[in-house]
Amino acid sequence: MAKNISRRKFFGGAVAGGLAAASPASVIAQPSAAPRRVGLPDVWGQDFLYQWSPPENVKRDLTPGPGVIRLSNSQDITNKEGTDYDAMFKGMRAAGWTACEAASAAWLGRKLPDSEVREIKAQLKAHDVVFYNIHCAGNIIAPDPQGEQWQRHIIDAVHAAEQMDLRMILTHTGSMYPNRNTAHPLNWSRQAWERSVNALKNICKSTAGSKIKVAIEPVNTEAINNPWAMKRLREDVGDERIQCGLDITNMVYAGTAFRMSELLNTTFELLEGMIAYIHAKDYVWDGMLPGIDWAMNGTGNMDYELFLAHISRIPDPIMYVEFLSTPEEYQQAQRNIRAIASKIGVKIYGTQA
Amino acid sequence: MKKQRAVFAAALGMMLLPAMALAAPDFNGSWVRDNAKSEAVPNTMYWMTRGANTMGGGGRGNAQVILNIHQDAKALQVDDAQSAPRNYVLDGKPHSRPTDTGIQKAEVTANLQADALVIETTQPFGGMPGNATLTIKEIWSLSPDGKTLTVTTTRDVPARQQIYKQVYNRTQSTGAVLCSAGCVPAPK
Repeated sequence: MAKNISRRKFFGGAVAGGLAAASPASVIAQPSAAPRRVGLPDVWGQDFLYQWSPPENVKRDLTPGPGVIRLSNSQDITNKEGTDYDAMFKGMRAAGWTACEAASAAWLGRKLPDSEVREIKAQLKAHDVVFYNIHCAGNIIAPDPQGEQWQRHIIDAVHAAEQMDLRMILTHTGSMYPNRNTAHPLNWSRQAWERSVNALKNICKSTAGSKIKVAIEPVNTEAINNPWAMKRLREDVGDERIQCGLDITNMVYAGTAFRMSELLNTTFELLEGMIAYIHAKDYVWDGMLPGIDWAMNGTGNMDYELFLAHISRIPDPIMYVEFLSTPEEYQQAQRNIRAIASKIGVKIYGTQA
Repeated sequence: MKKQRAVFAAALGMMLLPAMALAAPDFNGSWVRDNAKSEAVPNTMYWMTRGANTMGGGGRGNAQVILNIHQDAKALQVDDAQSAPRNYVLDGKPHSRPTDTGIQKAEVTANLQADALVIETTQPFGGMPGNATLTIKEIWSLSPDGKTLTVTTTRDVPARQQIYKQVYNRTQSTGAVLCSAGCVPAPK
């Protein structure tokens, strides 16, 4: 059953978190081992060129880890009234998807009776599908009252995740604009950083005792847009439940667009032990401006061999395929991913018809 | 008598061998794509998603495409205005060459057969590390009168297979003459 947080408790948490984080001492209380300047190292020395081309002989350790990767996709689990859960999970499994997540707005929009919760869990077990996440895509630093509303939404999602025995919820920290996908010029300011830290402190305080991971998805348009920032965020919030919902393509900009092997190595090293799960996408740079656009998995700049090798080294890895347009594209993406994994000896759970 | 026939047959065979070898298709010359008879070339560089046009165009559309081909007994060179010159060794053996990105390798095998040239290429899809493996098979064949070149291309990645046909009409019997689209002269 979802727990209700009283308004007093919610805002009490917000005030406490805010006061704590407003102190400069608390922000730097646990200094990170991050370098003075974030970013990949220079390729060939400092001069008039940006360091955008990859160095030669990048180390690509393709040794598979012990993890068997479960694939999920954005054909989310639904809890619409009257859903045939047996058929839903059977269909997922038949298509090669062995894990699933829910979109928060729809999932939280309906209170589930205990009998239905039991039915969902039974069918998940029967079809060997793992339901692991409620995907919130929130904007917890939006101008209030939207920011506060989003924080409450995340807290509700944590409780809903507990009800379903999930491992995590996922959110963004967001933008200083109400629309989190719109980059605000102050998204990389001290103000945005502190709002992010305070919001997460409030969420953690309001859900204290929960084992549900609060995964943050770093993304270019937001303050947390690189692995160094992700690591520092966790340190500043000071709660081990803060994890990374890693979508490494969301961190790509012109300077890293062709240096993905290095960004993969750096990210998995920096975020070791704090990656809750991984998004599987690909991209190309196909325009005059830094027009980085989505591409079919395994055909763009993402080093999928190295990516899969890294993923197989984290415990219980789950890879979420998203941002494609049609069921056929999802099947195509899965075929590419399975073929690349097979080539380097990484195991993918289940089979694809 | 039988022995004499066998010797005659063998001699005839020996005489015909060079002729058979010469019967391998000769692609030398300039060729203009027949857009009406050709199928749309997919975007071979990128496979875009999220509703982008991933199947058609490839930047060529109805533009004039001219191939200048220089062929001898051992090699074939193709020049056009759209891509870098392509050089093939016609020995049926795999040859390694850099992909267009310059940071990965492609294996290319060109096999000149009696009725066609078969070019097979294996490479990372986009020429980047860790890409899915792409195999491209091109079958080049000439019409009986030698005036029409048909190139049938099959592109395979684990995710899908694409097949498309390009038809070209011969405009010159030797390469490097028709350069209205800025084509590169074939080597002497």
